[in-house]
Amino acid sequence: MTATALQGPSAAHSSPMDRSRALGRLKFADNSFRLLTLGAAVLVLVLLLGVLVSLFVGAWPAFREFGVGFLFSDAWSPPKEHFGAATAIYGTLVTSLIAMLIAVPVGLGIAVFLTELCWLPLRRPIGIAIELLAGIPSIIYGIWGVYYFRPVMQSYIQPFLISTLGNVPGIGFLFQGPPFGYGVLTAGLVLALMILPFITAVSRDVFETVPTVLKEAAYGIGSTTFEVVGNIVIPYTRVGVIGGAMLALGRALGETMAVTFVIGNATKIQSSILAQGTTISAMIANQFADADPGLFTSSLLALGFILFVITFIVLAAARLMLSRMQLKA
Amino acid sequence: MSSHVRASMPIQPQPVETAKVQVRNLDFYYGQTRALKDVSFNLYKGEVTAFIGPSGCGKSTLLRVLNRMYDLYPGQRAEGEVMLDGENILSPDLDLNLLRSRVGMVFQKPTPFPMTIYDNIAFGIRLYEKLPKSEMDARVEQALSRAALWNEVKDKLNASGLSLSGGQQQRLCIARTVAISPEVILFDEPASALDPISTAKIEELIDELSGDYTIAIVTHNMGQAARVSQYTAFMYLGEMVEFDETTKVFTSPRDKRTQDYVTGRFG
Amino acid sequence: MIAASYSRRKTRNGIWTVLAYAATALGLSMLAVILGTLLWNGVGGLSLDVFTKNTAPPGVVGGLLNSIVGSLIMTGIGLAIGAPIGILAGTYLAEYGANSKLASAVRFINDILLSAPSIIVGLFVYQLLVVPIGHFSALAGAVSLAILGAPIMVRTTEDMLNLVPNTLREAASALGMPRSLVIRHVAYRAVMSGLITGVLLAIARMTGETAPLIFTSLGNSLFTADPRGPMSALPLIIYEFARSPYAEQQKLAWTGALILTFAVLALSILARVFSASVRQK
Repeated sequence: MTATALQGPSAAHSSPMDRSRALGRLKFADNSFRLLTLGAAVLVLVLLLGVLVSLFVGAWPAFREFGVGFLFSDAWSPPKEHFGAATAIYGTLVTSLIAMLIAVPVGLGIAVFLTELCWLPLRRPIGIAIELLAGIPSIIYGIWGVYYFRPVMQSYIQPFLISTLGNVPGIGFLFQGPPFGYGVLTAGLVLALMILPFITAVSRDVFETVPTVLKEAAYGIGSTTFEVVGNIVIPYTRVGVIGGAMLALGRALGETMAVTFVIGNATKIQSSILAQGTTISAMIANQFADADPGLFTSSLLALGFILFVITFIVLAAARLMLSRMQLKA
Repeated sequence: MSSHVRASMPIQPQPVETAKVQVRNLDFYYGQTRALKDVSFNLYKGEVTAFIGPSGCGKSTLLRVLNRMYDLYPGQRAEGEVMLDGENILSPDLDLNLLRSRVGMVFQKPTPFPMTIYDNIAFGIRLYEKLPKSEMDARVEQALSRAALWNEVKDKLNASGLSLSGGQQQRLCIARTVAISPEVILFDEPASALDPISTAKIEELIDELSGDYTIAIVTHNMGQAARVSQYTAFMYLGEMVEFDETTKVFTSPRDKRTQDYVTGRFG
Repeated sequence: MIAASYSRRKTRNGIWTVLAYAATALGLSMLAVILGTLLWNGVGGLSLDVFTKNTAPPGVVGGLLNSIVGSLIMTGIGLAIGAPIGILAGTYLAEYGANSKLASAVRFINDILLSAPSIIVGLFVYQLLVVPIGHFSALAGAVSLAILGAPIMVRTTEDMLNLVPNTLREAASALGMPRSLVIRHVAYRAVMSGLITGVLLAIARMTGETAPLIFTSLGNSLFTADPRGPMSALPLIIYEFARSPYAEQQKLAWTGALILTFAVLALSILARVFSASVRQK
């Protein structure tokens, strides 16, 4: 202890007046900071509104011209200025559906493997690898798709499907046509690969929220691994898994680069999924450069608006599910 | 249990006029729940007042009214009068930052800022004064000396505040508080997270700081209250059951509940 | 009876196990194949020329310099625009807004923007900054990237600030510190690594985007550092060269893809390192 500890009452080095003044000077900066953060937050809201409004304004000429029929017409003729969104909407929905049909089971399978079956030391590295893969730019999938996957589709898979499933009554119409390698199925499969890491990562995160005690209780009475998965894990995480899947669907619907290289960019709907088609984002990406202002551009913007509405609904639903999952945990 | 009270200055009953803080009919609400009921007492200038009572009696809540810390959380409100030098600090247009520069607080868990030891002290000072480096150095040394920490850290002022031991961190927090020269210091169970040696150091420190500062200390350790304070307040279920000189509270309490608590019949 | 049903259960478990292993093998091997082909095709094209020469017409030896520089510039400007907005908005959500209606709405909208189609963002910025000005620009490209990167930083900032213990905030307030200083000098400092994580993840996202740039910065075969005009970017040139009929340009597309993937992976790994150091505290 030094001598200073025995001194008399410590002199206040600054009087309350000085302090009041010092704090007063800070008040403006303090308030400004708060307003700045508020402004930034409001900007986020305004942004979404802005996107919605600007798309609609640009799309309006097309909506006004074609009316609700725009959604169902598969016309696409720039010279005749006759446009319809049906082909693009169809392609968007079908490719995403194909992607989900493949990626969800496979992704869940990998997630179960990672949480229940995998040799413990490997779990973290594989998990990290999956998360890193989820960040790979979609154009990488696109370029791989067009150089490597399309030829394989053309030479092996499509002919195989045509000769086998193409002859099955009832679904054969889906697997017809000359095998070019491009097509709705090809795009759907590439899309599946693209969203696979994401679904896996989300599912795994969701599976890991299951309390160990719950699983141990089930194992304790002699359940097999998959009985635990089926009876404990999946019911507990059902909402979260669905939410994660819908999130992946939202991304798949809006994906451009993974799809546009291999889908073929046709403008008519065809019944076979081995035939070429297009999606909303692929159509916009491919045609925007050549579109002259007016009805052509407006139709593309209308497509964009439709896509935005669809993805908004899917993402909002996904969020609802995931937030309910959070509450439970 | 024997209460060992340090015979320092003879304690004279203070006239009400030298009460630094006067609390009258204080009620406190967490939402709809009334946590403090009609509490009234004084904090006398330069004296240490201890607040004791079983868990949940409201002593920490009471402490946090004195620097309006509860204001950070919506849904919590206080009603009544709390006079600091005659000014009611519960008034809605009071400058809270100014209040807190006059009424400092040391928390249960040591919370050094993520900065160097030097900056931990200087940070508060810089808020109110623009000082040249030599003066700031002197002030930092002064604050650290007051907190009995200077000798241990004088060679590593640029080390992170988080690199100190628990007891040292708490003394750093005390140094940080005295650096801005408050008039009142509130201690909320300052030693409960520390080992016995650090606890003894903190108690010594509080004893030295009294005289220069008006001190209120919340503690669940009755021995500590008896060692360190001149006045003691016993609280139970949100009420101020008894407030008197420490010797009286521990040797001849007026209320039976006080008697039961200090003799260890419940706690 | 029990023995029979037990063996049935065991079989079923076995089937599911095989399926899970199969799914993992399939999924991981496909992804490994993609990375493998990327390496195989991209490494061959790696040379000093790639980093020193600009993109050139077929027949002329070229590189990717203008595209790489373009990506750096646009991501940089995008960050300069998006980071303040993202971090400040995240700060509002964690510190000021808490559970207010506005904060809940902002969180909802932010989550939507996080996964929104990037092509839509491109169209929006096209309407906003390309049409009125009359030409494509790197600035427009940067704005679209900022719109895609900011939601990530909003999320990370809010999550990180929520990790700061209230006692630390109270300790600063107890000194009389105004709220904004508590946030800037204590809270931010306490989770600085976490904030950096958010920034790194945003950069990784912005670097990899192609679609919005098609409508905003368009691309440029010449070297330029002027953000007011069209500018090339790595994803854009990959998109162009991958569809080119010329082998040397296709080769550069793969090399560009390799560089891009490497950059994104490096940023993601760095982000994880920073994120881990926050949790250690």
